[in-house]
Amino acid sequence: MSRVHDVGGQTGFGPVPEIPGSQDSPPFHADWEARVYALAGVLGRRGLFSGDELRDTIESLPPERYLSASYYERWLQALEILVARKGVA
Amino acid sequence: MTLRPGTRVRTSSADPDHHTRLPRYLRGQVGEIVYAGREWPLPDDVARGVAAPRAEIVYTVRFAAAGLWGTGRHTVLADLWASYLEQADGEDGEDDEDDGPQEER
Repeated sequence: MSRVHDVGGQTGFGPVPEIPGSQDSPPFHADWEARVYALAGVLGRRGLFSGDELRDTIESLPPERYLSASYYERWLQALEILVARKGVA
Repeated sequence: MTLRPGTRVRTSSADPDHHTRLPRYLRGQVGEIVYAGREWPLPDDVARGVAAPRAEIVYTVRFAAAGLWGTGRHTVLADLWASYLEQADGEDGEDDEDDGPQEER
């Protein structure tokens, strides 16, 4: 079934405030965001999960959690799920 | 079989219960192949941990925005895996295998 992330073409979310990493925007808004990004990269390169698994896990967050979380908060919640699922937490 | 640029294709209308890279707004839509890229593992398989995920050509497909949303004069490009697509009926494109050899004109 369609998941909460799949909102392309829907209106009502307001303007996109900024594009992270673009010319006028820093890639991260806080140090913890960079750490989450790095953690995902390290765990992925160690073979714990694929990029598609990470996407799948983010998309599978409960809608109320997904919609109330920032971009990297979603990454962090997905990482917490994945390390527990893979038995390394 | 590789679909050639210019081939009209229809996207799958399926609503899978797993990860997919075919967004909802492109389900069951007709577009045109712009570019046939390299083969890449199918995310639907990779996300589910399939041991030997299918590798499929990823196509760049162009859609008319007005056809997707009823408005807009622009087009939308999407990179879509081969199994998301089927050739649209009655349109130009890949020759049927039953047609036999064809000569250049």
